[in-house]
Amino acid sequence: MYGIQSKRDLALELQSQIPILRPSIHTRRAQIVVKFQDLYGFTVEGNVDDVNILNEVREKVRQQGRVWWALEASKGANWYLQPSIFEGQSLKASLKLSALANAITLKKLIRKGIPPVLRPKVWFSLSGAAKKKSTAPDSYYNDLSKAVEGKVTPATRQIDHDLPRTFPGHPWLDTPEGHAALRRVLVGYSFRDSDVGYCQGLNYVAALLLLVMKTEEDAFWMLAVLLENVLVNDCYTNNLSGCHVEQRVFKDLLPKKCPRIAAHLEELDFDVSLVATEWFLCLFSKSLPSETTLRVWDVLFYEGAKVLFHVALAIFKMKEEELLVTHHVGDVINILQKTSHHLFDPDELLTVAFDKIGSMTTGTISKQRKKQEPAVMAELDQRLRRLNSIKVDDK
Amino acid sequence: MATTGNKNINSKLVLLGDVGAGKSSLVLRFVKGQFIEFQESTIGAAFFSQTLAVNDATVKFEIWDTAGQERYHSLAPMYYRGAAAAIIVYDISNQASFERAKKWVQELQSQGNPNMVMALAGNKADLVDTRKVAAEANATGFVLQLTCLQEEAQQYAQENGLFFMETSAKTAANVNEIFHEIAKRLPRVQPQNPSGMVLMDRPAERVASASCCS
Repeated sequence: MYGIQSKRDLALELQSQIPILRPSIHTRRAQIVVKFQDLYGFTVEGNVDDVNILNEVREKVRQQGRVWWALEASKGANWYLQPSIFEGQSLKASLKLSALANAITLKKLIRKGIPPVLRPKVWFSLSGAAKKKSTAPDSYYNDLSKAVEGKVTPATRQIDHDLPRTFPGHPWLDTPEGHAALRRVLVGYSFRDSDVGYCQGLNYVAALLLLVMKTEEDAFWMLAVLLENVLVNDCYTNNLSGCHVEQRVFKDLLPKKCPRIAAHLEELDFDVSLVATEWFLCLFSKSLPSETTLRVWDVLFYEGAKVLFHVALAIFKMKEEELLVTHHVGDVINILQKTSHHLFDPDELLTVAFDKIGSMTTGTISKQRKKQEPAVMAELDQRLRRLNSIKVDDK
Repeated sequence: MATTGNKNINSKLVLLGDVGAGKSSLVLRFVKGQFIEFQESTIGAAFFSQTLAVNDATVKFEIWDTAGQERYHSLAPMYYRGAAAAIIVYDISNQASFERAKKWVQELQSQGNPNMVMALAGNKADLVDTRKVAAEANATGFVLQLTCLQEEAQQYAQENGLFFMETSAKTAANVNEIFHEIAKRLPRVQPQNPSGMVLMDRPAERVASASCCS
């Protein structure tokens, strides 16, 4: 999504400035750039079509809400929070047909989107955050916040540096109150896991969690479950080795799922990680419009980190024809950025992500990761040794 | 890398430097002519392109603005691989960022593209004046420290075959100039059409000076 100063779509800005002789009414409408706030308070710039899409999305969200309420009426309140549905093990153990049916219904339902009012409750439960919280003392978060108050570490210094640089211009996040809340969540987490400490990128993730979860404490536990259970290990630690692994897995998947694009990009000598790294580290929060990002996270928290691959592949897939005629690296990046910034319709993205990309199981992804780990470690080690050898030469 | 005509040069340029040195601000100033106090922090890297006309050619820069946090440095090779030019940025009011800049220079020198044009940018030059006033007022000797840094940087750059400029993304001082200077120094040889072109002598000079001081 856009913060005010995020990489803007230059093309759009330019479009509005280019004088066109006798434009049709449609062209003229498409040229007008409108600025407005979306559901979560982010400033969005788009043309009239984008505004229309956003209005349609709002209507779809309302309809989806009605579906959830109807199910609640027929299956009982909080039916979707039953542990047997979302815990793989008990699902296998449970031979209850109703539980299985519920699980199938829920998976479909979540891919179609969780209504924003239910998001905090559903995320908290289905992600495992509620369970994680329940294993700690009730006062854990408050005690942690108090204990770390006033402490200065490299992590807190970096966090303080980044607070005003996290979605600048947002009506709540970019206020003293917003900064303070985000600071407590990030600083608290940096003490909970000193291997992660603070990694740039988490500021965006935690900010969005705060906006959705409403309370700091819940946002904190969501961040914890995300880093400790949902995502691959070591995504944000030390040398980002987990992130390197994910990128290699992604580079392996692209030729399988989008062979024509992969072949063309290889010809251009384009490394897909150049763009995909940010997607994986910020979980798309810096690239996709807010509601679309949150729809991705709906599925992420229920189905796991494989969802990131589905979505990343889908962004390429959606622009296959355009990408195939590019000649320059810059053109590829512009297409991908423009596409991701304008994905105002989450269904458009998720349909491609799951129907067109086809199924990938968490098991196969895990195997892929295992396969890539040694190569990543060797590469990181090699760089380190190269750098160390320089120092020795110098002295 | 493909270009039309022999006077158009496509050039990959990477910015490296410590967190908060002002890499993104330099790029934003160069590409859009803007300065924003609180730039969104860069994750991974951000891409920009900008075209510059120098006397004899049009240079299209494909700019990779990288993230500064230490742990992101493991991603850097992906961005500097195949780069024709690099700007290594430090903050003139922060000695640690200068030390970090030297490490980047070493890393780039060791990665094996001897023709890479490298610039050292001492950014936030606007702070010199404001600090000077403060220093005169309380005689802390801060000015002296900054001047030393400037000479040290100049000398370091010479010894290592870089060119050095103090820049300010805030006031725009030397921002266009540093990109312009890079554009002038880029080798004019096109890989697909090497005949009939004149090799500039500057890169060779640079290589020579780099090797004698290593």
